[in-house]
Amino acid sequence: MARKSEKERLKELTVMGKKLNVRVLALIAFILVFVWLVFVRKDNTVGIAVDDHIGTTPTQIESIRDIGEWEFLSISNEELVDTMRKGFFSNDELVRIYYGTLRLGIDMHQASQDWLTVKGDTVTAILPKIGLLDKDFIDEARTKSFYESGSWTARDREALYQKARRLMLARCMTPANQKVAQENAEAQFQKMLKALGYQNIIIKFEE
Amino acid sequence: MRRICLLFAITTLLTACSGNGEKQESAGYQSIDTVPMLIMQVQKCARLYTTEYKVHKIVTHDDVIRLRGSLLKQDINIKVPLGERKIAIPIDATLKAWIDFSQFSEKNIERSGSRITILLPDPQVTMTSSKIDQKSVRKYVALTRAHFSDAEMSAYEQQGREAIINSIPELGIIETAKASAARVLVPMLTRLGYQEQDITIAFRKEFNQNDIQRIYGQEK
Repeated sequence: MARKSEKERLKELTVMGKKLNVRVLALIAFILVFVWLVFVRKDNTVGIAVDDHIGTTPTQIESIRDIGEWEFLSISNEELVDTMRKGFFSNDELVRIYYGTLRLGIDMHQASQDWLTVKGDTVTAILPKIGLLDKDFIDEARTKSFYESGSWTARDREALYQKARRLMLARCMTPANQKVAQENAEAQFQKMLKALGYQNIIIKFEE
Repeated sequence: MRRICLLFAITTLLTACSGNGEKQESAGYQSIDTVPMLIMQVQKCARLYTTEYKVHKIVTHDDVIRLRGSLLKQDINIKVPLGERKIAIPIDATLKAWIDFSQFSEKNIERSGSRITILLPDPQVTMTSSKIDQKSVRKYVALTRAHFSDAEMSAYEQQGREAIINSIPELGIIETAKASAARVLVPMLTRLGYQEQDITIAFRKEFNQNDIQRIYGQEK
C-alpha cells in the first residue's frame, strides 16, 4: 500500500515538474521576445518616464494697495544658510541658498501734512526717515537647495528662512548703507525739484 | 621582567608625547565660518513705487511613473501602479509697480501757461518678495516612492514663481500703477502751487529691443 502511494507521489511530482518547466520556458521565451523587441529592433522603445512639469491654479489677487514709496538704494543679497541635526550614526544637514533684495527709501505715507513748502523762491522738503520699504524682502520661491541629508519638516524650513532674514538684515541694514540711501534721496529730490524750476532747495530728514 | 617593564614604560612615554603633539597641533587650527554671504550687490536708484499687489498661487505636481514608448509601432503609455506622488505648494507673492525717476529732468516737463504736464516712462513691475506657506504644503507619497527632496520642491517652487511672473500682464497692474502715480504726484505738485485741474501726468512707452523686434516682425 505504502509503495503504491510512493509511486503516485512520484508521478504527481513528475507532472508538477513538467508543468513548472513549461511555465519557466514560457517566461524565458517572453523575456527573450521582450528583449528582442526593445533592444534588437531599433523601432521599439520602452522606458520609465516621470513628468517634471507642474500644474498651477490661476493667480489670485488677494489685495491691491496704493503706495507711495521712493526707493533710493537697492541691495541684492544671496545668503547660504545651513542647519544640522546630530544623530546617533550620522548627522543630518540641510543647506539652502536664499535670495533677497533689501530696498532702502522713504514711505511718503509717513510724511507730515506740510512736508513740502514754498516760501518765495525757496522750496523746503522735510522727508521721512530712510528705512526698509519691505519687511518681507526674501524671494523664497527662488531659493536653491544646495545639500540635503535626512528628512526635514516645514518648521525646519521656516526656521532657515528666518535665519536667512536675520543674516541679510544684519549685513545690509548698516549705518553706511542708510547714509548712502539718504545722500541719494537728497540728490534725487534736488534734481527733481530743480527740473520743476526751483533753484533754492532745502532737503531735510525727520529725526 | 625588568626589560619588559622598561619597554612598557618607554612605549607609554612615547605614546603620551605623541598625544601631546597632536593636541598642540589641533590647538593650532582655527575654526572658520564656512557659511559666508555669497554676493551682495548695492545699487543707487530713484524709483517711485505706486502700487502693491499681493497674489496667491498654488503649485501642484502629480508625479506618476509611466511606462512609455512604442512597441510594434504601437505607442504605449501605461501608468505604473503604486508609484504615485502628489504635492501642493501654496505661494504668496508681493508685486510692486514702479516708475523710474533716475533719468528725470526738464525734458520730462511741459509747461503752457499755468498748465503743467509731467511725462513719465511706463511703469515696470517687480516681484519684491515671495513666501512659501510651509505649514500648508500637502504631500502624498506612495509606499514604493521616495519622499520629495528639498531640490525637487525648490524646482517646483521656482516654476510656480515663473508662472506668477508670466501672469503679470493679465493682472492689470500697469494701469493701476499709472492711476496711483497720479495720486502720489498730483498732491506734491499742488503743494508747489499748481491747481489740480492744471496738472497732467502722462506716460510714454519706452521701447526696448524686444519691442523693436516685435514691431519689425509685424511689419515684415
